[in-house]
Amino acid sequence: MNAAARRSVPSFCYNCVAGPDLMRVGVEDGIAVRIEPDERAAAIHPGLGRVCVKAFGLIQKTYNPHRVLQPMKRTNPRKGRDEDPGFVAISWDEALDTIAQRLRDIRGRGLLDEAGLPRLAATFGHGGTPQSYMGTFPAFLSAWGAIDYSFGSGQGVKCVHSEHLYGEFWHRAFTVTADTVHTRYLISCGNNAEVSGGVCAVRRHADARLRGIRRVQVEPHLSPTGACSAEWVPIRPKTDAAFLLALVHVLLHEAARERLDLGFLRERTASPYLVGPDGYYLRETASGKPLIFDSLAGRAVAHDTPGALPTLEGAITVGEAVTHGPDGEVTPWRDVAARTAFAVMADSLKPYTPEWAGAICDIAPATIRRIGQDYLDHACIGETIVVDGETLPFRPVAVTLGKTVNNGWGAYECCWARTMLAVLVGALEVPGGTLGTTVRLNKPHENRLKSVVPGEDGFMAAHFNATRSGEWAARPTGRNAHRSLVPIVGNSPWAQALGPTHLAWMFATDAPKEWPEPPPPEMWFAFRTNPAISFWDTQRIVGTMGRIGFIVAFAYTMDETNHMADILLPDATDLESTQLIRVGGTKYIEQHWDHQGFALRAPAVAPRGEARDFTWIATELARRAGLIERYNAALNRGAAGAPLAGEGFDFSLATDVAHDTETIWDAVCKAASTALSGGGETHDLAWFREHGHHVVPFRREDWYLTPTMARLGLRYELPYQERLLRTGQELGRRLHEQGIHWWDEQLGEYMPIPVWHDVPARWERAVRAAGADPAAYPLWGITTKTMPYTTGNNAGIPLMAEVGRNLRGQGCVVVNATTAAALGIAEGDWVEVRSVTGTTRGRAALVQGCRPDTVVIPGQFEHWKTPVAKDLAWPSLNPLVPLSLALTDATGSGADVVRVALARCAPPAETLA
Amino acid sequence: MSGTRGGRRQRQWDLRAAGNFIGGGSGAGLLLAAALEGITGGTFRLTLALGLLLIGAGLGLVWLEIGRPWRALNVFFHPRTSWMTREGIMALLLFPLGLAAVATGSAALAAAAALAGLAFLGCQAGILHAARAIPAWRKPELVALIVAGGLAEGTGLALVVAESARWPVLLALAAGAAREVAWRRYRVALGRDGRTAPALAAFTAGPARLARLGQVASLVLLAVGAALPPAFGPMGPVLAGVGGVLAFLGGAAIKAVLVTRAGYTGKLTLPAVPVRGGGGPARQAAAR
Amino acid sequence: MTRYVMVADLRRCVGCQTCTAACKEGNATPPGVQWRRVLDIERGTYPDVQRVFLPVGCQHCDDPPCMEVCPTTATRQRADGIVTIDETLCIGCSYCIMACPYDARSLTGAAAYAFGNEPIVSEAQRGTRPAGLATKCDFCAARIDAGVARGLVPGRDPAASPLCVNACISGALSFGDRDDAEGPVARLLAENRWFRLHEEEGTGPGFYYLWDREAP
Repeated sequence: MNAAARRSVPSFCYNCVAGPDLMRVGVEDGIAVRIEPDERAAAIHPGLGRVCVKAFGLIQKTYNPHRVLQPMKRTNPRKGRDEDPGFVAISWDEALDTIAQRLRDIRGRGLLDEAGLPRLAATFGHGGTPQSYMGTFPAFLSAWGAIDYSFGSGQGVKCVHSEHLYGEFWHRAFTVTADTVHTRYLISCGNNAEVSGGVCAVRRHADARLRGIRRVQVEPHLSPTGACSAEWVPIRPKTDAAFLLALVHVLLHEAARERLDLGFLRERTASPYLVGPDGYYLRETASGKPLIFDSLAGRAVAHDTPGALPTLEGAITVGEAVTHGPDGEVTPWRDVAARTAFAVMADSLKPYTPEWAGAICDIAPATIRRIGQDYLDHACIGETIVVDGETLPFRPVAVTLGKTVNNGWGAYECCWARTMLAVLVGALEVPGGTLGTTVRLNKPHENRLKSVVPGEDGFMAAHFNATRSGEWAARPTGRNAHRSLVPIVGNSPWAQALGPTHLAWMFATDAPKEWPEPPPPEMWFAFRTNPAISFWDTQRIVGTMGRIGFIVAFAYTMDETNHMADILLPDATDLESTQLIRVGGTKYIEQHWDHQGFALRAPAVAPRGEARDFTWIATELARRAGLIERYNAALNRGAAGAPLAGEGFDFSLATDVAHDTETIWDAVCKAASTALSGGGETHDLAWFREHGHHVVPFRREDWYLTPTMARLGLRYELPYQERLLRTGQELGRRLHEQGIHWWDEQLGEYMPIPVWHDVPARWERAVRAAGADPAAYPLWGITTKTMPYTTGNNAGIPLMAEVGRNLRGQGCVVVNATTAAALGIAEGDWVEVRSVTGTTRGRAALVQGCRPDTVVIPGQFEHWKTPVAKDLAWPSLNPLVPLSLALTDATGSGADVVRVALARCAPPAETLA
Repeated sequence: MSGTRGGRRQRQWDLRAAGNFIGGGSGAGLLLAAALEGITGGTFRLTLALGLLLIGAGLGLVWLEIGRPWRALNVFFHPRTSWMTREGIMALLLFPLGLAAVATGSAALAAAAALAGLAFLGCQAGILHAARAIPAWRKPELVALIVAGGLAEGTGLALVVAESARWPVLLALAAGAAREVAWRRYRVALGRDGRTAPALAAFTAGPARLARLGQVASLVLLAVGAALPPAFGPMGPVLAGVGGVLAFLGGAAIKAVLVTRAGYTGKLTLPAVPVRGGGGPARQAAAR
Repeated sequence: MTRYVMVADLRRCVGCQTCTAACKEGNATPPGVQWRRVLDIERGTYPDVQRVFLPVGCQHCDDPPCMEVCPTTATRQRADGIVTIDETLCIGCSYCIMACPYDARSLTGAAAYAFGNEPIVSEAQRGTRPAGLATKCDFCAARIDAGVARGLVPGRDPAASPLCVNACISGALSFGDRDDAEGPVARLLAENRWFRLHEEEGTGPGFYYLWDREAP
């Protein structure tokens, strides 16, 4: 074959949130035949221009014979799993005109329905990654206006939800990572870096292991991350909060005070703030500023008093002060006894000894104590490191959390304790320590340091949803009521999708009587999402889906969700489409680069069949729906990833005409490269097609937030949670004023210092509440990820099944061998896992690396429509887990965990032969 | 668990491959019987022809099994080390000799064919012994079993076609006894090696037990058949004949088990586990 | 002399199967045939358990048992240690499969495709591997040869290195000339403790597994 027929096309893989990663596509005679590492990116990409196993499935993904390759419409108006949709092929014109006509009709009647909810809804799958494949569709969404994003496909329950909310609140950390390149001691509670951390994390951790990092994996089963750790601590599911609180206890009560980073605590945290008898900060009467006790002056002064040396502990009396309670209530105090926030914490944590936690977590107290002391021993307090010429503290200890630990009940406690473990030794947002990565609830998304602006009380500004009387959203503005129920999530564009997304599905059929019945959306866009199998109680979800007025699904193959659709639109997939996205800087999970910039995904091959580039689809929808000017204006504002005009450049598009895909991306490429290089370089679409990416150096110092906090003189809002206390009290009043008491359990989570409650017992109570005997469900059912299947919608890709099967437990129910023996289960036997909600069946994989009281079901399967996937006959935890208000925490999050029974069963009929 | 990965049952060689060992072994035994018949002045053509037929059938089955049957002649390219090539060469030798003996009735040619047959049988034993992936085939004791087994099966079967005489029965009895000894030695060897536990399990399962019962019964029948005085008329030869057939069937079944059910690859044992990061139990475990 | 070997650092490997997929795709092996794969092995008893990810495939032995038994001489050993299969000679007798203690060989079956009986576009473009032949890893010998011909160094230059090594995301796989004392592979072997599989077979595998640093 001649060289002209053989090409290597630069591209990227962003199938999981741990990307994007740079790669190339090998093309022969116009056909994509292989995925290749991008060796030319090795110098700038922390993963050396390599992509993980998922990317190698993109060839089969492109040429999957089951692809939907022309627009289709439903002919059977009845919707249901057992109804044949009767899809028939239609032209793009018919498909787009049908949708546009409905859009115009909706617009004519108003964006909101009679209940004040958006008539149009949209759901995108995993972690914001679909946005990197939907071209200019965000401009269409922006042009439209109010859209309900609350119908999740796992958001809130399948993500690291509480970490998103509290992490971003405390240290602008939408996701949290160790500074793995420097960390020496890492406590990982269920964080599965080796599976879902992406190529950057895998490489960083592998390097760290050779460097000698000691990672302790605390997890009920021996995941690949546990396998690659120095120590595995098999903890009882959902007791991580007790474990972490005990570690905080060890630091506070079993080590000399001087071993903590007292300077950091005094200067960078609210530890010295004085707390009054009512639980609120004592404040200067006139200014309202929180008080500290200045040990030099011997009296309480405002927290920002220059030259003050705050006291961290001790008996303190304040002559005059006020506290600011809920709803603006001001309480005056005189000669009041005060405790510092630090002292309140220390007192509160006193009972949480390793012995106490050991009994809860099923871990030897000596192990907990040793881990706490090892952590302290490795903290290097007082040491510094030079980064980018700046001398920064060096604290090479970190704590990371994983899914099911940092979502659902107990997650608040875990997030708080994890962050406090960093705070106590000054390891928050400094080299070696516990870091945030990016922001999504705050802006700008591309630079979390710039999202830090001074707010109240010496802290960063926080953007909670209002809870005060008259300001609170008394009626839900979205079907999951995120503004009404979850103040901390705020109301940024991402907030709704981070609200309690299962509530949208639950309230659709079981709405709170105190609020107007939420009518289903009149139209729903679904892209790269399959909630019909990826959420919980999947049968119920499918039923609810059938009530949505008109579903437009961007369809790759038939699947369980688009089975319910009215129109299927085939979009050009990964190797066929054009999009420029941001890369580098600090981004989700462990994407910490020394560069930042943009990478282009250009078509390596022509779209198959009648599949069309998403940008073309978005432009056509905008044009036909009469939104072209607003759409173009959104593009000009930056809806395609970069504003088209800026200082010294203007590549704005004329707003009155529909532009073709190339024109749009050419403008985006030029604007993005010009802005990135400060006007130094302007690269057009053709340049990006040849070179793939354009980056500039990114200062490593900007991986860390603490230098910015210090520059702005700000304190981390830790340890004491006065704001949360007040917010919870106000929210409680608002809800109770409406007679709502079904959120009272959740209100209990607004604790200024977390207090342990029996977290796992909640799941046993849920069994009892369902009318069953908890003794009949003696095991914990949990799930885990494997790299071939973690995100990427790969269940229909045969290559993933083939290589995935090399991993023990893939497609099976993983059971401790001793437990299995007691139940008469042998390797490979068919077993049924049963909960009060549903059942699942699969083959048993017997292992030693799993707690005897826990079964693990990897991935999300039980497809009944997706080609290839439906023939796998692999089990899934999803049908077993209830959609339950009682199992929803105050952030609107649930966790992938359920009480189950396990028994041998007959093999399914088709496998008998 | 001990840091090992259990053996996997080989599934490439199926009953067709087993058929080669069955046909080749019994064929070689028949050739030996025929040669002895020839030397003792008896008629041996039928016995010899049957032996050639069985060897040919076995090779035919293998021919059906290989991925590229039309390239089968490539099998002769590697006599220096490959027992399969050597087996092929012996086949090349024994068929002309055997066919010539059948055609001419020459006892000398029959004897030469029998010698080639014995070499052929030895090559078959060598084939299994050189299969380093399969510990149960690697046992030196298997070589004796394959040779003795082939002779027992062939000389047993010869009783059906040979002229009635006493010495062939004694020959079959001796071969059967030798097989019995070889079998016991092989069983002991399997039992001594942890890696061959799955093979041992295959040999203690139902089909193998039945086959072994047949082998033992054949010895009894051969002994009784040999011991019965002529006064009992055809009773002795009939019993011996049934014993001979049982000797063949029992041996064939055991070979089928050996090839298709006992062919487990060896366990993979890790000499050490990786030390992942500093100072943890991994280092301690690795040090153990 | 040149002796090409593979080095797998078990401290790095996470069992992700990226090498498996890269090999399958790059070498267009049919479904079920894996020249490179990563085993997932447990050791110990709960709760004292280790889980080891072990990249395996042809070990390119000094004394290859497969070569010894091969009746056709299809299996050969190059001067640089790479063990190859001449697909024009192989008769598909599977004897080599019985002889390989490393379970590294497969027999290609009748034409098989990812999605069933028909090849997808990319499979049709690549063509199918001929059926009925023994097949295994050849250290991407064609890439190595092409790279060397261009003056590149296998193991150092990706264009002259095996696909699995190029794709490995943890940096576990390294490749190169063991006899090049200054090369990366020789250095890894000198600085670390390693083992080879089935050393007792005397096969002299060209596949080394690092498990700890060499004691100082």
